[in-house]
Amino acid sequence: MNTIANIALRNLSRQKKRTILLGSAIAFGVMIVTLINGFAGAFSANVAENFSDLMAGHIFISGTEKGPDDKDVSVIRDDRALTSAVAASGAPIRYVTRRSAFSGTLIFEGKKLRTNVDGADLEKETFLRDRLLLKAGSWDAMAEGNALILSEKIARKLNVDVGDNLLVQLQTATGQNNVGEFRLAGISFDTGIFGQMMSYANLAYVNELLGLAPGEYQTMGIMLDGLKHTESAAAGIYDKLSGSVQLFERGAKGSDGAETPFQALIRQQKKESWEGVRYRLFTINEVLSQIKQIVAALDTTAAVILVVLFVIIMVGIANTFSMVMFERIGEIGTMRALGVQRGGVRSMFLFEALFLALGGAVAGIALALVAMGVISLFDFGMDSPAFLIMRNGHLSFFLPPLRAVGNVAIIAVLTLIAVASPAGKAARLTPAEALRTQK
Amino acid sequence: MKRIFAIVAIALAAIGQAAVAQDAPAILAELDRLGDFSGVDFSAVYTIVSQKPGEKDTVTQVRMFRRDARKQFAMLIVLPEVNKGQGYLREDDNVWFYDPTSRKFSFSSIKENIQNSEAKNSDLTQRSILDDYDVSSVVEGVIGKIPVWILDLTAKTKDVSYERVVMHVRKDRTMLLKQEDYSVSGRLMRTSLYPKYAEISGRLMPSQMLFIDELNPGERSQLTMTEQSLSALPDKVFTKAFLEQVNK
Repeated sequence: MNTIANIALRNLSRQKKRTILLGSAIAFGVMIVTLINGFAGAFSANVAENFSDLMAGHIFISGTEKGPDDKDVSVIRDDRALTSAVAASGAPIRYVTRRSAFSGTLIFEGKKLRTNVDGADLEKETFLRDRLLLKAGSWDAMAEGNALILSEKIARKLNVDVGDNLLVQLQTATGQNNVGEFRLAGISFDTGIFGQMMSYANLAYVNELLGLAPGEYQTMGIMLDGLKHTESAAAGIYDKLSGSVQLFERGAKGSDGAETPFQALIRQQKKESWEGVRYRLFTINEVLSQIKQIVAALDTTAAVILVVLFVIIMVGIANTFSMVMFERIGEIGTMRALGVQRGGVRSMFLFEALFLALGGAVAGIALALVAMGVISLFDFGMDSPAFLIMRNGHLSFFLPPLRAVGNVAIIAVLTLIAVASPAGKAARLTPAEALRTQK
Repeated sequence: MKRIFAIVAIALAAIGQAAVAQDAPAILAELDRLGDFSGVDFSAVYTIVSQKPGEKDTVTQVRMFRRDARKQFAMLIVLPEVNKGQGYLREDDNVWFYDPTSRKFSFSSIKENIQNSEAKNSDLTQRSILDDYDVSSVVEGVIGKIPVWILDLTAKTKDVSYERVVMHVRKDRTMLLKQEDYSVSGRLMRTSLYPKYAEISGRLMPSQMLFIDELNPGERSQLTMTEQSLSALPDKVFTKAFLEQVNK
C-alpha cells in the first residue's frame, strides 16, 4: 500500500501545474467556507458581550407587580431577598447594578427625539464613568438631581449643549403621561449604534418621573467575570431565589417554538395572575436567543456554499482524472502486466485524489487563518454601524476545531466520490487492452 | 352694619360654592350621558388634519364604529393611502392594532395617539369622567363671552392618560368647550377645544375638535366628524376577522 501511495504522490508531483490548479480550487473553496464559519463562531459571543456592556449585566432580575385591574407595574420594591440569593449563589460577580429606565421623547426648542433613558445610581456604578467617556461637561455635574448625559449624536440632533434644559415626555410605570425637565450635564462620545440611543440620568429622578418611590427600581443587572459563566450562575441564583420569592418559570417556550424564551416569559406574565411582586430572571443569552438562529443561518449558508463550490470543483476533478486515466493508459497496462492488481490501480487514483483534497483543504484553512488575522487588524472604530458584531471595533473570528476537521472530511469524501468513476474505469482495464490502446 | 353685610355676602358666596360643588358631579354625569351611545350603535368618519412646524399638513381619515353597551369599537384607517387598512379593535379593556402588511394584531392602548396626530383613541370613544375623576374645585369663568364652569379634576385611577384635567363646561347648556390635560408632574400637556357640536338623537357629539400640543409649540390637530349615524351595525364589525376581511 505504501508503494501505491508513493506512486500517487509522485504522480501528483509529475504534473505540478495541474496539481496546483486543482489544489488551489479546493483551497479557495475551503478558505471561503472557513472564513464564514470563523465569523459565525465569534458572532454570537461578540453580540452577547457587547449587549452585556450596554445593558450592564449578563443576568437580569426584574419585578412585576399586579396592580388594580390586573395591570402590570414593573418595579422591585424590596430587594433584600434578591441580594441574599445572589450572594449565596457563589456566582463569579464583577458588579451588580440597580436601574430604572423609560423610553421617552426629549424635546428642546422645537426639536424632539425618542430615546431610552437609564436611571443609574452613579455613586455606586463607578464603572460607568470609566466606560462612558465624556466629550463635553463633567461627571461632577451629575450631582444635580435632574442631570442627564446624552450621546454626541443625540445632542447634535437636538442641537443641545451642556447646561441647557430639556423637556422629556414619558409614561409612568402605571401608564400615565408625565413630563420632566432635565439639565444636560455631559455629552458622551458615541459608542456604537446602540450606545448612541442610550442616555443616562440619576436613578432617583428617573424613579420620580416613573412614579416609583426612592429606593425602588426596575431591574437588577448582574455582571459576571465572563459570558461563559452566565448559564451556570443564572441556574444557581434562580435556585436560591426559588425558596424566598415568587418567580416566573425560566426557559418556557411558545407552542409553535417561534418565540424566544424571553418573549415566552413576557407572554406568561400577561396571562397569569398573582399578588405582590413576582420576579423574572433572564440572561443575555435568552434576550439574544434569536442570534443563535442567525448563527445557524450563517453556518447553513457556509454549508450550502461548501456543497455548491465543491460540486463545481468535483466536476472539474472528475473530468481531469478521466483525462489522466487516458494519459496514463499505457502506464496502467505496464503496471497491470507487472502484477499490480485492479485494487492497486484504483487505490493509486484514489490516493492521488485524497492527497490533493487534503493538501488543498489544509492550504485553504491556513489561508483562511491568515486572512482572519489580517482582517482582524483593521480598526472599524467604536461608532461603526457593525459595532455590535465586533470586539472593540475589530472583526473577530473563532473557528471551532471540530468544524474545520469536519470540512476537511467532507472535502475528502466528495473528492473520492468524484474520482471513483475514473478510478474504477482504470481498474477495469485489462493489461493487454491497456497496452494495445494508442493515445 | 358693614360687617353684617360682609358676613352675609361671604355666607351667600359659600352657599353658592357649596351648591356648585354639589352640582359638579351632576355636570360630569351629564357630560358622560351626552357621549354615551349605550343601546344603539354609533358610526362616523373623522378627518384629522395635523400641523407640525416645518412640515406639510397631514390628513388622516378614520371610520369609527362604536358599540358602547359592550365597550367595543372598531376603527379603520382610510387615509393616508400608505396606512389604509390599518385598524384598531377594542373589546372591554383590550385594544388591538391590526397591520395589513404583516397581517398581524399587536396589543395597543386606548391611550395611544391616532397615527401621527395629537388625537388619542380615547378622544373618539365613550368615556366615564365621573368614574375616572374626582372634582377638586369648581369656579366660574368665561370663554369668549360664554359663561362656563371650570372644573378641576384629579384622577381616581391610574387607568387614565392624564393625572389632572381642567374642564370648561358651558353653563346654560352642558357642553364641554375646552379641556386642559396635565401631566403627573403638573405641567400642561394638551389643550383641547370643542367649538362645534352635532345633536344626534338627544345626545351631543363634538363635530369639530382642536387638540393643541402644549409641549411642542405649533403642533396641533383638528378633527372633523362627518357621516355620523346610529344605524345598527352587524356583530362581525367588532371582530378581528372584520379588520382582516376589509383588507382582502
